[in-house]
Amino acid sequence: MLATGYSLPATSAQPTLALIDELLAEQQTLQTPVARYSRIHDTRPALSQVYRDLIPLSAPGPGEQYAFEVDIDSCSGCKACVSGCHSLNGLDEHETWRDVGLVTGGDSAHPFQQTITSACHHCADPACMNGCPVLAYEKDPLTGIVRHLDDQCIGCSYCILKCPYDVPKFSQRLGIVRKCDMCHGRLGEGEAPACVQACPTNAIRIVTVPVADRRADTSAFLSAAPDPAYTQPTTRYVSQRDLPSDLRAADHDAPRVQHAHWALIFLLVLTQAGYGLLLGGQHIWAGRILVLLGLAASGAHLGRPLRAWRIFLGWRLSWLSREAMIFGASAGALAASYALTLSFFPPLGLPENLPAMLQDAGVALGLGGVFCSIMIYVDTRRRAWAFPASALRMGGTVAVAALAFVLPHAAAGALLAKLAGELVTVRSSSLTGRLQRGPLRAVTLLRFALGLAAVATFALGAPLIGAVLFLAGEFAERYLYFTSVDSPKMPGVSAL
Amino acid sequence: MNTTLANLLRARTGPMTSELVQKPGDFGLGRVPHSLLPTSTVRSICGFCATGCGLKIHLNAAGEAINLTPDTDYPVNLGMACPKGWEALAPLAAPDRGTTPLLRNPNTGQLEPISWPQAIDAFVTGLKGVQQRHGDDRIAFLSTGQIPTEEMALLGALFKFGMNGVHGDSNTRQCMATAHVAYKQAFGFDAPPYTYRDFEESDVLVFVGANPAIAHPIMWQRVMRNPHAPKIVVVDPRRTETAMLASHHVAIKPKGDLWLLYGVAHLLATSGRFDADFIARSTEGYDAFAAFLADYPAERCAAEAGVSTELIQELADLIARGRAVSFWWTMGVNQGHQSTRIAQALINLALMTGNIGRPGTGANSITGQCNAMGSRLFGNTTSLLGGRKFSSDTDRAEVAAILGIPLDSIPTTESLAYDQIIDGIETGAIRGLWVIATNPAHSWINHGRLKALREKLEFLIVQDMYATTETAQLADLFLPAAGWGEKEGTFINSERRIGVLRKVARAPGQALTDFAIFRLIAQAWGCGEHFARWSSPEAAFRILAELSRERPCDFSGIPDYATLDAAGGIQWPCRPADLIALRDPAPVPLAKPSATDALTPATPQERRLFADGRFFTPSGKARFLFDPPVAPPESPDAAYPLWLNTGRGSSAQWHTLSRTNKSAVLRKLAPVSVYAEINPTDGATHGLATGDRVIVESRRGAIPVDVLLTPTVPAGQIFVPMHFPHVNQLTFPAFDPHSRQPSYKACAVRLVVPA
Repeated sequence: MLATGYSLPATSAQPTLALIDELLAEQQTLQTPVARYSRIHDTRPALSQVYRDLIPLSAPGPGEQYAFEVDIDSCSGCKACVSGCHSLNGLDEHETWRDVGLVTGGDSAHPFQQTITSACHHCADPACMNGCPVLAYEKDPLTGIVRHLDDQCIGCSYCILKCPYDVPKFSQRLGIVRKCDMCHGRLGEGEAPACVQACPTNAIRIVTVPVADRRADTSAFLSAAPDPAYTQPTTRYVSQRDLPSDLRAADHDAPRVQHAHWALIFLLVLTQAGYGLLLGGQHIWAGRILVLLGLAASGAHLGRPLRAWRIFLGWRLSWLSREAMIFGASAGALAASYALTLSFFPPLGLPENLPAMLQDAGVALGLGGVFCSIMIYVDTRRRAWAFPASALRMGGTVAVAALAFVLPHAAAGALLAKLAGELVTVRSSSLTGRLQRGPLRAVTLLRFALGLAAVATFALGAPLIGAVLFLAGEFAERYLYFTSVDSPKMPGVSAL
Repeated sequence: MNTTLANLLRARTGPMTSELVQKPGDFGLGRVPHSLLPTSTVRSICGFCATGCGLKIHLNAAGEAINLTPDTDYPVNLGMACPKGWEALAPLAAPDRGTTPLLRNPNTGQLEPISWPQAIDAFVTGLKGVQQRHGDDRIAFLSTGQIPTEEMALLGALFKFGMNGVHGDSNTRQCMATAHVAYKQAFGFDAPPYTYRDFEESDVLVFVGANPAIAHPIMWQRVMRNPHAPKIVVVDPRRTETAMLASHHVAIKPKGDLWLLYGVAHLLATSGRFDADFIARSTEGYDAFAAFLADYPAERCAAEAGVSTELIQELADLIARGRAVSFWWTMGVNQGHQSTRIAQALINLALMTGNIGRPGTGANSITGQCNAMGSRLFGNTTSLLGGRKFSSDTDRAEVAAILGIPLDSIPTTESLAYDQIIDGIETGAIRGLWVIATNPAHSWINHGRLKALREKLEFLIVQDMYATTETAQLADLFLPAAGWGEKEGTFINSERRIGVLRKVARAPGQALTDFAIFRLIAQAWGCGEHFARWSSPEAAFRILAELSRERPCDFSGIPDYATLDAAGGIQWPCRPADLIALRDPAPVPLAKPSATDALTPATPQERRLFADGRFFTPSGKARFLFDPPVAPPESPDAAYPLWLNTGRGSSAQWHTLSRTNKSAVLRKLAPVSVYAEINPTDGATHGLATGDRVIVESRRGAIPVDVLLTPTVPAGQIFVPMHFPHVNQLTFPAFDPHSRQPSYKACAVRLVVPA
């Protein structure tokens, strides 16, 4: 390597030292804006002459709303819309509200590729809004823009699971989600949204589209995107060309391991095992502690837990809101039941069987809460979380825990049946199956090893050891439930 | 009370909601985030590609950049930018910026922080040591098209006139050397003749080996503004983003372009569809060319180019019928084993049909790097400052007089080209190397070899923004440089427009501008007095303006940066007399032109060359230059049955990603790991699906890639984006004999499915 054995300088020439100091000082000096050449304009945005044809002249009328329209014949794939949105909205370093992806199709004689830009589709029937437990979304009655109320959001991320287009984005800094609001502030002032302003080829515009009874005209929606029937997205992708019928996103069906959501894993497994134990009537204390730990874990899942008191607001539509309320009521009943048995409580003349009634009510409510837990995931319409799969896993946890100390052999049978059901998924050709056999293979093997060990132990009549193995296995199962779920989204740039 | 209660239950306002509130930004901006309201704005020219977009930098009261938007007053980009421009400030804030000089400790083998005095001493001792042991000409530099002209010129002048060096070259060798040589031979000077307005005024545009939709999106913006419903021909083996938007996609075989262009010229020549007047008045060598073309009938060329004869005929018809035909090329032409002749085949077509010097015409090289054009004029590498010759006594005397340096300090020999410098390291002809703002350990062709050559260098200095580039990791001495946004200077864009960049951020730690580093070295080397006049970038600009006087690139009429900025950048030539028309330019109309208001005479702000039919050759006539096509030195065979093509993967990626990967936004806009586009037929042969892993193997290396099956790449070819490390372990080191530019776009590979 270094052949020159030079000595580091004791004496460098004085002028050089002086110049170094001068240059280092100069490097750190900026001209103040007053001193520098700077342009003064009138306040009218210079770009308005470009975008005035790209936004509607008037607000939508009754039965109408604003929508994005993308002319894919004009989109060159430069992706400036993403960075324009980022910079003009002052988003955080890693935050982007617009996404781009690639779709390909056709054959060697007629090859086709196209960049696809997408943001929030401001759906006519927004799944994010329908699932929000605290009503942190609202659909603007005039414009139809689906707005997110940042100060209302509790950061539960349920909207991220609900949206089939991967639109809401979680902000670690704020502990909430944020998303595209179609620059409603700009539109209100007659300015175009950032993406519309930033597009060099005027491929994005805002149009007015008809909506009625939470239904939009989705005939111009992108064929390579998730089915618009679910949320009725309003974005229009228009083209004068004959698009190939086999358009596919470059990341279509790419096996992406999803977020594990550890707090949710704890919430689900512990509440389900706990209520199972309470239902079985053995090891009541263990059941109480598991339920308590599980409910405590749910708080850890929230980015803004202090706002969670509003969680009852969404009960009309949100299974998450319902789950929280029912588990809350259950916990209250169980706590009251226990409190009344304490000797220091003064006799209030209450019925003697009240603690037992409250205990039963608490368990019954808890089972209702578990049903809500199941429905939370069913309601995302993800294939891997359909009712049979979710009910098998979550209901199975309750059932095995209930039987574990009462009828260990029956618990062994129930768990074996649960494992058999899960095996169907592992062996299926679905994305979830591919993930469980591929990148998640080790966890899958662990899950079945623990499960079968628990079955054997239950069968041998050692329920305590069996229960521990069972619980460990359920954690692995639930880890797979989250990480191997199919996650619909708009086309992305990469297969991996 | 109801509002309070309602807001308590459902918080429509609050601190988080307020975060995203926008306010009118003034300065013609429209609404901007209220937390980023500018106190003032200043224009700077983007530092990525040679489009040379104007960026309006938003400044706070301390003069620090807080945001930016594309400049609506700049005639280049008309208020638009690609994602790299929007994100231009992000790479400055990267955590791995070099903040102090680093020296490799011989004992630990690690790069360790040292002070600037120590670094400058190490530099001088190191390189002078090499010169004393082996000779003055045994040191070399490898520079860049990414730094301002003033810095390039000072580097070239210092190295050759102050440090007695002879050999230096720039990474522009990898992108633009071919265009430079092709123009020089054909026009007598490296003079891209066009202005971007020509994109809007053609009725036929022919793009060869160019994918401007993503590589130069803001040039493509101009094509989309064209109101004449133009025919757009794209010659490219792949159905690129640009080809998707074309009216005619000519999917030639790799390296079939010279055949195609000769076939078209043959048809035009033999059917009499050429501009005899223009040929007679403004060109020389046409008869020889026409005779040469006799051997290139369309049928033969069609077979060799892998297209139908009808397609060649259609192309010839389009060109013959076009009112204003423009020819555009970039790396697909420039990077080839016979690239200069391909570029000249396009120049020949423009000359023979008289499509030059008029609105919407020209044989137009789309430049790669932001200041490749500055490097071509003032890099002082293979040509002497201002497009002069080292071998010319007159040229040397002019330069010596203007710079006030002794005549004998100017070498009489030309520099070795990039590949010859690399070869020189292997043979021992080069023992000390200084690398400035480029990353050859990633980007040079067949780069596996370059790392091995490191061991042969006695002293390697790397001067860069980042101490983490592949090349910086190999250095003995690392000098931390300020980046774009942290310094002043000028770039020359693809249409010859000189634009000013501004200092809007402080460099981290002790990083210094390249200009300051060169001044320091001059002082410490002992030749400071020769460069006393280079006291600031603007002082250097005036020296360069003086060096350009009476040259074709004459911009001696530009007195200072303020004039340049006020005029919206100025295209060379700009003699003192030209300046009058450029003062107080009318605002640029941003709305799309109509078919009637285009085709106006060139405005002072948008000028093209050769309207008078006079070229820069001694005779004033342009030359027809041609050679028979030669087969590529490596083609697919039984062992390596596929063509490998490389190129730009996305608009969000630049070169070796050393800057664009520093932006979280840009990282989201392209795949994060290296991938290969493979035709589904070839995928089926190997049982591959999109998302699988496969090894791409050439005779020189093997790299694992992710598979992306797409019919846009023809069967028998694969495409791998150039940005990822290791790609150039595969490429074949073939070079154009005239430009010495490497052929990155054609070598033979095979796919190996991992067990």
